[in-house]
Amino acid sequence: MNLRFHWMLPKGGEVVVDGRQTPYEAARYRIMSTSSSSVAPRPDMEGWTYFAQCAEEAGIDSVLISFSRYEPDPLLVSCALGMATTRLKFIAAYRSGLSLPTTFVQQVNTLAALINGRVSINIVAGSSTEEQHGYGDFLAHDERYERAEEFLSVCRKFWSGAPEVDFKGKYYCVEQGRLSTPFLAPDRAVPEIYVSGHSERSERLAYAQGTCWLRAIDTPEKLEPLVARARANGVTVCLRLAIMCRPTRAEAFRDLQALLPEDKRESTTKLKDDSQMYREKVAGNNFWLNESLWAGLAPHYGPVWTTLLGSPEELAAEFLKYKEIGVSEFIMSGWPEVDEVLRFGKEVLPLVRRAERLQVKTAHQ
Amino acid sequence: MNLRFHWMMPKGGELEMKTAQETSRVLTTREKSPAALPDMQGWTRFARCAEDAGIESVLLSFSRYEPDTMFVACAVGRATKKLKFIVAYRLGLMQPATFVQQVNTLSGLIQGRVALNIVAGSSTTEQRGYGDFLEHDERYARADEFLEICQGFWQRNGPVDFDGTYCRVERGKLLTPFLSPDRTRPEIYVSGHSEQAKALALARGSCWLRLIDTPEKLEPLVRPFRERGIEVCLRLCVICRPTREKAIEAAKRLLPDEEIERQERNILTASDSQTLKQALAAADEIGWLNRHLWAGLVPYYGSSAMTLLGSAQELAQTFLEYKRIGVTQFIIAGWPKLEEMLIFGREVLPLIRAAEHH
Repeated sequence: MNLRFHWMLPKGGEVVVDGRQTPYEAARYRIMSTSSSSVAPRPDMEGWTYFAQCAEEAGIDSVLISFSRYEPDPLLVSCALGMATTRLKFIAAYRSGLSLPTTFVQQVNTLAALINGRVSINIVAGSSTEEQHGYGDFLAHDERYERAEEFLSVCRKFWSGAPEVDFKGKYYCVEQGRLSTPFLAPDRAVPEIYVSGHSERSERLAYAQGTCWLRAIDTPEKLEPLVARARANGVTVCLRLAIMCRPTRAEAFRDLQALLPEDKRESTTKLKDDSQMYREKVAGNNFWLNESLWAGLAPHYGPVWTTLLGSPEELAAEFLKYKEIGVSEFIMSGWPEVDEVLRFGKEVLPLVRRAERLQVKTAHQ
Repeated sequence: MNLRFHWMMPKGGELEMKTAQETSRVLTTREKSPAALPDMQGWTRFARCAEDAGIESVLLSFSRYEPDTMFVACAVGRATKKLKFIVAYRLGLMQPATFVQQVNTLSGLIQGRVALNIVAGSSTTEQRGYGDFLEHDERYARADEFLEICQGFWQRNGPVDFDGTYCRVERGKLLTPFLSPDRTRPEIYVSGHSEQAKALALARGSCWLRLIDTPEKLEPLVRPFRERGIEVCLRLCVICRPTREKAIEAAKRLLPDEEIERQERNILTASDSQTLKQALAAADEIGWLNRHLWAGLVPYYGSSAMTLLGSAQELAQTFLEYKRIGVTQFIIAGWPKLEEMLIFGREVLPLIRAAEHH
């Protein structure tokens, strides 16, 4: 099967429709989007629609819409944006513990019916303790995973098409639950469920309830045994990364270094103190994980800023290496997002697809 | 201020149905009902007609038999320009912070055209199906806490802290504000006839939403709300025909056959809503509450089927009587859904506006 490429939806106000924005400006906008003076928390239908159309044109499968107290609700943004597009899918991030599973299913099913099933879910057990408390959730990290497991079990019972759902757990209890609005999609009866995180709990949750384990990129060597284990447990693997495509790797690295903050001590990662993914990634100081993978932005901006960089040919070859070890999906970011997604669609994706066609041919001979 | 008129949004597929019998709740709650699915074609058509007819908002009802109201408002709101959406939502289904984040997001997507109809809860069975096991009275106590937290977020006056019996929030912060040209928080309609519902409307609402009754009966009930600056909105059905006799004929034709009647009774009596019990009692005992207000459809179609009927002149007069006692808003339904609204916009509303200008 062909690799699937998704992209991160830019924040509100981030997309400059006339395209005049440097990579540094775009990256800084993203970093500042959680400050109270930013306009990023406001829905930006003009910028988003423009980006979504560029993403469709580039051959992108889905956009990931993140969830936090700093931004609009991703499910509703998916709804509005889904109505302005025809092919693009939406991976809406959601935290368990914020609504009852029945309510969540009713919302997801309604959304699916409104936008022709173009919705997947990215379940996050919870981010920082402080942020969860602000939402009225006071469980500790491990309990949040236990609850997320129950949450998704209830959701899956509704999606299984059972006429009535009964569930009695530690966190949720449902008695004769019924929802008339089904999950409607041309090819599925249950949405794809991406479970993200690096902790053992998140991996187990992905195996138990997810369809895909979502994690930050690392070298193919490091990932190979983890991917094999995930595949053996029946889930696909999707990697999050940033991408920097330039005519040569040297140019890509030059532009990438320009994204470093002026204040070298700056770090946004304290925001996510409960995340193992963050703790792992911000430690250490050898930023070249291999000749194409640079983690120099991660200590400042977080693990999903780990960047795959190079020429279109080099990048295509890298994606295919991940395919060889069993990775099947990627969610990317780039700076500015519009420029990078269009460049990816024009220069990298055709090379990946050509190689995939050759592989299929070879396999058939 | 001019009276404000809202209309009940048809359920999925209902716009194509021509009679009340066809659209009764039996139809919408049974398996594989078209009401389970969004009906963007029908809704968009209805919404644009409502805008043309001078209707301010549509009410979107919430139940497990229908699509989620917040998303329907988003989709139809993106397809319209003026129409507002009164989104019914049950409390206890999500955290207040999550709710505010969704409402605020929605407001930003549809130019602030969103108001809330807060329902503390419907039947116990339905609430349990959602995972909510509180009893009627406790649901109101929770609703009070819930709305206090929501108001805290809408004040945008620093982090929200709250430690109650049902809800707790610590340093709550949401950066997406409620976005509207003229408001910093949504209007909140609190519905219900019980004392708890009234207390909740007084404490946390901007409008008390209840069923229509005669102006005489309502006058003392409306007064305490107006004294506290809270509006009163009445739910009703309207049948407008050239004469009162023709309107009565049309109303009688809406009575269902016995089979539908039997099933309806089963559904309705399973509810623990005070509103419904009172309305059923009214229908059984009296039928006609006054010359223009008929409860004859209530046993079959629920408490909001209390019907004001007559000629355009009679109806306009009646609405103005409610205005005199302090009622400011109405949420109306009628059959057939679209035609009755068009008649209202064409025949009744201009008479009311002309009288209001004098």
